[in-house]
Amino acid sequence: MSRPGAVLEVDRNSPPTLFHFGEGVRLERLPLGSRILYPPDPLEPIAHPERAIRRALAHPLDDDPLKDLLRPGMKLTIAFDDLSLPLPPMAQPDVRQLVMEEVVELAAEAGVEDIHLIVATGLHRRMTEDEIRHIVGDRIFTTFWPDCLYNHDAEDEGENVRIGQTSDGHEVTLNRRAAESDLVVYVNLTLVPMDGGHKSMATGLASYRGIRAHHNVETLLGSRSYMHPPDSQLHHSCIQQGRLIEDHVRVFHIETSVNNHAFPTVANFMQKRETDWTPADQATYLALKQLSDFAPRDLKRTIFHSMKAPYGLTGVNAGQVDQVHERTLDVVRKQMTVEVDGQTDIVTMGLPYLGPYNVNSILNPVLVVCLGLGYLFNLYRGRPVVREGGVVIMTHPCRYEFDSVHHPSYIDFYDEVLADTTDPGQIESKYERRFAEDDWYRQLFRKSHAYHGVHPFYAWYWAAHALDHVGDVIVVGGEREVVHRLGFKAATTLADAFEMAEQTVGRYPSVSHLRTPPLLLADVR
Amino acid sequence: MVDDVRQVRRGWHWGEVKPRSWPERAPAVPDRSSNLGWARAEPVRSARWLLQKGVSLPFTRVMANPQVRGAEWMESLERPAIIAANHASHADLQLLLYALPDRARERTVVAAAADYWYQRPWLGRLVSLWLNTFPFSRTGGPQAVLHHSSQLLKSGWHLLIFPEGSRSADGRVQEFKPGVGFLARETGAPVVPIHVRGGQRIMPKGRAYPLPAPAQVRIGRPLQAQGKESARAFAGRVERSVRELAAGTDEPDVIGSWIERWRAAGPPSGAAARRRS
Repeated sequence: MSRPGAVLEVDRNSPPTLFHFGEGVRLERLPLGSRILYPPDPLEPIAHPERAIRRALAHPLDDDPLKDLLRPGMKLTIAFDDLSLPLPPMAQPDVRQLVMEEVVELAAEAGVEDIHLIVATGLHRRMTEDEIRHIVGDRIFTTFWPDCLYNHDAEDEGENVRIGQTSDGHEVTLNRRAAESDLVVYVNLTLVPMDGGHKSMATGLASYRGIRAHHNVETLLGSRSYMHPPDSQLHHSCIQQGRLIEDHVRVFHIETSVNNHAFPTVANFMQKRETDWTPADQATYLALKQLSDFAPRDLKRTIFHSMKAPYGLTGVNAGQVDQVHERTLDVVRKQMTVEVDGQTDIVTMGLPYLGPYNVNSILNPVLVVCLGLGYLFNLYRGRPVVREGGVVIMTHPCRYEFDSVHHPSYIDFYDEVLADTTDPGQIESKYERRFAEDDWYRQLFRKSHAYHGVHPFYAWYWAAHALDHVGDVIVVGGEREVVHRLGFKAATTLADAFEMAEQTVGRYPSVSHLRTPPLLLADVR
Repeated sequence: MVDDVRQVRRGWHWGEVKPRSWPERAPAVPDRSSNLGWARAEPVRSARWLLQKGVSLPFTRVMANPQVRGAEWMESLERPAIIAANHASHADLQLLLYALPDRARERTVVAAAADYWYQRPWLGRLVSLWLNTFPFSRTGGPQAVLHHSSQLLKSGWHLLIFPEGSRSADGRVQEFKPGVGFLARETGAPVVPIHVRGGQRIMPKGRAYPLPAPAQVRIGRPLQAQGKESARAFAGRVERSVRELAAGTDEPDVIGSWIERWRAAGPPSGAAARRRS
């Protein structure tokens, strides 16, 4: 039986607290009386995943067994989530591989001859051959690659079709192969409550014209938070689009959830609460700290990105999207929720080396903002952990460092757009369209492995709610010039950051620390 | 460095009274120590690469100057396979690793007898680090061993096993145990037969040190379990193939629609149906 999430108060006996610091870690002393939010321990995984998957496919929710939906001569498309989920990537075999192997086996038994597998990348970068092989496994890869297993191309005019318009007047587009299929099987992995449901199809297989309907400043400002779908305009918009898609094409949803066992054995200490650390954990911490202090950046990055998470499958449901997603969310919430009494003046968070958009890549300054103020800030239900006008303190080296293959438009966004303004509304109206329709970015998106030209804008909009809510943002350990370009304040130490924060929130502020990853969802009362 | 050590040393007050608000201590992380996952993760993989490239392989070359035939069969593999070889000496494993192409070697785990190599924890860790072994029970329930081995295959690792179960006393190929057949049918992985000659002269059973002697490693065409072939029958076919390699011969493979390729790459339909029932 795993322990539920906990809120611990820092007293004089408390051990120091672990802060992630990009490709490194730190131990910091928080002020006495600060509270630390810990996620629940990993839930017990399902003992026989393959059996659970077969059961889910044979007894779907509010739908016919998958076997009965398959017939010779039909056009079948299997779409699945890309490498932005889960984080860190899952050690093989990935649960999507296990699910897809069962689906393909059923299709083979039914004699389905026309079958395609599509990576639902949306506006994310094309996955490489090795990355796809890692997710689907060798058997599927050797059978289908490259003709019948490929990345969705959101910028191929001929391969995306307009499905229609929602009642709000938003355009809905879909991958042509999926739109023309007799059946689409969507294989999802839900790590946080924001993932899955109608959002899978409405973003993963859509084009810029469809995605911009909900990936905009107004919608994201109205999503409080997007980790709690009932209060999220982003999700309401996706649901409208998703329903229209379901009217047009038959979709069979398979959703999986995993526990939060996010670190392999060598990095066990990151998974544990400091009060549970053993001498072995302390020794591993010291070794990693020395490595992160002295090793060259490339080596550190290689080591950190080679970590694969030994997640365990906690749930698999199949059938109609609404019922399936509700069941999935129940398990995900159980894994993430920690109950918190009231807000505090300051929230601190250690930003790790990895966010959804830099798998096997660099967490550039724009993505630092997206990770801290976009994702971690929004890990709440009810109210944010930090009060309105409060201060967010993040630790990250925040260097002027970009991956020119994966993030070419991010470089120009940083150099050109952020030099002008950091206001999401102004950025959207003044610059978005130009980047989104730029031919060079489009070419790199389609033929190389670059994120879409508009992607840095979305990363920035993701933080719009936090920027609107908080009074100040302080980055500890960041390069001063970079932090200032982002519109924040730079501090050398955590103690300095608290000192600076007092100018905004007054003396003796209350402090909460999000001890994450593993991820948590603060249910703020 | 000194500051970090001091911070850690002074940071934890194990003996002190804990506030009531603190939860019970718990390991938090599920115990997964038995699968030796660390041996297949970084930085251990890089360390092993260095050990093998820097020490084992040059040493093997000097001691045996192995002649390798059929390495192209390993390079042609598109999915993880079971590598089945005869076993006469502790030197066989070094000769086999020498014979595998670099890419295959880095992705190969070796099934080592749990009751021999893993009795002493330090020895188990050492061989896991050096040779990427994992404990393979020769006496325990087949289910647990099968499950773990199939997990490794599904994770993209080649699995090297010695189906004879133990070293041959006189260097001749002994009868293969059916485990290799069960594993191949359960996972659908191809089996690559290999014959090693000369290991017994380098380090025969009972001798604790190696002496130089020439060796040959012959790699055969990968085999796939056929429709209704039983595990025992397939193990027998693998054994015959190894014996043929000892004498010197091979056979053909599959192309066609995706369903045929899928079937060829996976468990036969009979097994799939049984799994489903």
